[in-house]
Amino acid sequence: MIKYLRSKACLCYIPVLLLTAVALTQPYLAHNYGLSPWSGGGFGMFSTSDAPWRRHVHAYSVSPGVRREIVIPDYLRDTALRAAALPADTYLARLAEELAEIPSPESGTARSIIIQVWKTEYDPAFLVPSGSMVRSLEVPLEGD
Amino acid sequence: MKGIKGRITERLSGIYAGIGGMNIVDLSLRLTLLDMLLRPVGDRTVRPLTLVFAALGLLIPGQLRSKLIWLPLAFLTGLRVLLDWPLPDNHAYLLFYWCLAVAIALSSRDSERCLAFNGKYMIGLAFAFALLWKAFLSGDFMDGRFFSIAMLTDPRFEAFTGSLLSLDVNEIEGLRLFLEQHIDGKLPARGLDIPSLPSKLHLVSEILTYWTVLIEGAVAISFLLPSRAAVSRLRDSFLILFCITTYSVATVEGFGWLLIAMGVSQSDERRKAVRYLYVAAFFLILVYSYLPMFR
Repeated sequence: MIKYLRSKACLCYIPVLLLTAVALTQPYLAHNYGLSPWSGGGFGMFSTSDAPWRRHVHAYSVSPGVRREIVIPDYLRDTALRAAALPADTYLARLAEELAEIPSPESGTARSIIIQVWKTEYDPAFLVPSGSMVRSLEVPLEGD
Repeated sequence: MKGIKGRITERLSGIYAGIGGMNIVDLSLRLTLLDMLLRPVGDRTVRPLTLVFAALGLLIPGQLRSKLIWLPLAFLTGLRVLLDWPLPDNHAYLLFYWCLAVAIALSSRDSERCLAFNGKYMIGLAFAFALLWKAFLSGDFMDGRFFSIAMLTDPRFEAFTGSLLSLDVNEIEGLRLFLEQHIDGKLPARGLDIPSLPSKLHLVSEILTYWTVLIEGAVAISFLLPSRAAVSRLRDSFLILFCITTYSVATVEGFGWLLIAMGVSQSDERRKAVRYLYVAAFFLILVYSYLPMFR
């Protein structure tokens, strides 16, 4: 019975511990995997202009001798935004796989798809914007 | 003849007594449910059920403290974080932790103590982590760049920017287009037409930056220190001050209301004035969200 009551009291600490664990993991993900400081539950919102929707994603289809930029269609906007927020292999590869389904104007199939995530930075004096790449991944396509 | 003034005074006294006499846990739970109804969370799968449980909790007598309300709400708000990951904002996480804390507190022997513990330390930790990002981890906050960019590009700051920097819609739009242009790499240094920034922008950004660090630091320290510490006695005032200043500028009412609901849970039952101030701040944020001068 005492054990049971103690365990019930311990449950009270769970939400605070969960908050702490997630918030401590988030800077690690931001530093090592390019997670946007606004995302991931680390309370980094309103601390930097590097928000997920300010990042932009480029996708290129690569076939022998040709590298063509793919316009990301509207229905993949959510997948692209997730990749922008956390450009880890899983999210970049998921976007590449979805884009590979889109028919290509070139003859033959593409060998790979490159996904790049960029963020915008601002010069401290005049706020002149510049883009810097957060992450790039080339995803080989099946059949090669 | 009892005039209109008399009747209004009587009604207001009734409201005043009702809030003052309400149990602190009940008030906190009511404000949480109101927050969820006023700013519904989640997508098509989570939102309808969240609304249903929040409405039932408020509507049906005796259900406010029911685990059958709060366990599903904890599950749904947690599911929303998982489904939207990594995109949910801080409010989504905090709402999930809070609903979980309520569900656990209602199952514990001392609900009030358990909820007060979670309210106090969750607020303290959230502000401490926010401060960690702003003061140490972010590269563009302390020099005022974040607020300069936000004021000129974030629609949530538009009304504030327009009135404070004396800019009209077209001027804000011109600066926004310059700042939000799509650039891979750097702009060419030669022939670059850099628009002139409003003269007061830098000063206003610096004031906002230091004010934010100051007030968030005050909230973090006062909530994380033991209640017997002198500064801890000021924690409710700091949080209320944060809410009434921040949410007059930034339109994230849901976050403000949640902080207030959590703040109420840990406030001293005997200090009635504090709970009136919390409730007044809740309604002030509601007013902010509808008055054109703030939006």
